[in-house]
Amino acid sequence: MVQFLLKRFIGLVFVVLAVTFITFILGYLAPGDPIRGLLGPHFDPLTYARLKHAYGLDLPWYQQYFNFLARLVRFDFGLSFETQGMPVWDILKSGVPNSLELGLWGLAIQLLVGIPMGVVSALKANTWVDTSNMAVALVLYAIPTFVIGVLVQVIIVQMHLQLGTNWPVSGWGQTWQYSWSDIQFKLLPILVYAAVGVAYFARLARTSMLEVLRQDYVRTARAKGLSERVVVYRHALRNAMLPLVTVLGVSIGFLVTGAFFIENIFNIPGIGYITINSISTRDYPVIQATVVLLALAVVLGNLVSDLLYSVVDPRIKAS
Amino acid sequence: MDMQNKRDAAFSHKEESDLHVPEFQASPPGDEAQLQESKGISEGPQSKKSLTPLQDSLHRLRRDIRSMVSSGVILFFIVLAIIGPSIYQHIGSPYQSTLNGVVPADQYHNFSHQELDRINEGPSAQYWLGTDGVGRDLLARLMQGVLISIVVALLVEVVDVVLGVLVGVLAGYYGGWIDQLLARFTDVMFAFPGLLFAILLAGILGDWASTALANVPLIGPNGNARLLLVSLALAFTAWPLMARYVRGQTLQLKEQQFVEAARTAGASDLKIILGHIVPNLFSIVVVASTLNIVNTIIGEAGLSYLGLGVQPPGSSIGVMISSASNLIDTHPWEILLPCLVLVAIVLSFSFLGDGLRDAFDPRSKE
Repeated sequence: MVQFLLKRFIGLVFVVLAVTFITFILGYLAPGDPIRGLLGPHFDPLTYARLKHAYGLDLPWYQQYFNFLARLVRFDFGLSFETQGMPVWDILKSGVPNSLELGLWGLAIQLLVGIPMGVVSALKANTWVDTSNMAVALVLYAIPTFVIGVLVQVIIVQMHLQLGTNWPVSGWGQTWQYSWSDIQFKLLPILVYAAVGVAYFARLARTSMLEVLRQDYVRTARAKGLSERVVVYRHALRNAMLPLVTVLGVSIGFLVTGAFFIENIFNIPGIGYITINSISTRDYPVIQATVVLLALAVVLGNLVSDLLYSVVDPRIKAS
Repeated sequence: MDMQNKRDAAFSHKEESDLHVPEFQASPPGDEAQLQESKGISEGPQSKKSLTPLQDSLHRLRRDIRSMVSSGVILFFIVLAIIGPSIYQHIGSPYQSTLNGVVPADQYHNFSHQELDRINEGPSAQYWLGTDGVGRDLLARLMQGVLISIVVALLVEVVDVVLGVLVGVLAGYYGGWIDQLLARFTDVMFAFPGLLFAILLAGILGDWASTALANVPLIGPNGNARLLLVSLALAFTAWPLMARYVRGQTLQLKEQQFVEAARTAGASDLKIILGHIVPNLFSIVVVASTLNIVNTIIGEAGLSYLGLGVQPPGSSIGVMISSASNLIDTHPWEILLPCLVLVAIVLSFSFLGDGLRDAFDPRSKE
């Protein structure tokens, strides 16, 4: 176990270094002088030098990378190029709670809707329930998130125009507040956001459950004369859930990519929204910070799922 | 190892089951005949009907209605995108514009031409699918958008297949440091889920690419320079997965008896790889790249939607969706059109990929 942990940890350090380096070096190599852009066409060379020094941009690349890492540990992502002198974290900070709220709800719905959907499908395999469940999953999985989002908006807006329903299609309401108007803002983005994950988990849960139901110990349990309920819930379901632990990283991946689209479609002031705005203003530090944060979230998700899996399934340690 | 595999399969963003496509009957064509001869089996009339494994798979594919319909849809859009614009530009008579004087059909049927007093029109004889918010022909823009999707898919798949097969075969056949390198590299790329790497690359280098390559023909105009960057990013994130599949398949293949036989007969590594391993990777590469096209087309459309890919007046399905997104209350048609086309293309490739997998490996069907 110790060896496994150690190996995993070394791998983690390597990935984190690589991810931060790629992120850093792209910004470093990006042409265009941000200080010059900041100062405009007429500037005082002294101010220029002073600012260049203040941003640490006069150092060689390896020192800049080292500073980048050192600041990262302190959650300091440097200063924004666009909003003069404002720390990047201050810009992102306002978006983090919204993105986090969106992400947690998205994850919860992925699991709470996706898994039961898949399990029901497996139990009723090859009936109309299964077929329709899987058809829905296929459609949700295959159609890109932003298209689903846009289509939902079209429907809501047209319902508003034709039927006079009053439902918002843009904005987020108060963070972590759930009054009726907040729920109205949040419901659709969260559902659209979770759609791809719901489909993914439904398909995964179905496959996993079907596989377990074919196992000898399930047959044994049935042969013992246990009721179908006990067989399904106590013997099959628990074991079928094991492989799902391993895809936590994947589902965080869906959430990360989805955030950029959902936040932009529904005008949710989260970090995805802020980042896309920063791209149009060439505020590279903001982009770098977001990418590093999200990539680290995925790396951590993968680590947690690996560790969880080795805890719930002792066989894994052998390999 | 088991856990690793599960995660890889999950990361394929496609199917729960691993992409297990068995090699075609694992023997080079010559051997079979020799074997039959040595066993004294004569070529009877009935053995004329025996099919090669590839023909067999294609037979199965042809019987699968879903795959055939999907192929038809894909073919339709490819033809539409490639020869559609040149036909469309020759249809219609010159038009007396209030703003631009006399405009011939090849101009007003061009995807970037604007007629500012003809905005948001419905379908008509002049504009078959209507016009967008600045008076550009929607059909012309749609065909250009589909063309962009196809070109990007092609570019990405070339890189994906070449790099994936090269690295995958070397890693699987030789193991050692190249295998380690692949494993580490894959780990790193997995940390950038989906489009995150593309967002980073296109976000930071996008402006530079569009100014630096502005004067290069084909690549420069219409914001296509960014497109190159987007393709690069998508290919870069795609190939490790292909390499993993190829590696796994190579590991299995190199234990096969016909490879052993070739080695005993004195064949060099190069000859074994090119003659015995690579041909047997055909099915897995075809299936994996068809399924990856789905991700690529969605990726390009998504990045263009976010403003990171093609820039207006250039056209792409993503650009069409994004520029119509403030017209959903008054002109929903303009956003539904590109959405539906994208869904049709994406679903077709998904179905075709699934169909191909089933055709190559009937056991994969439940």
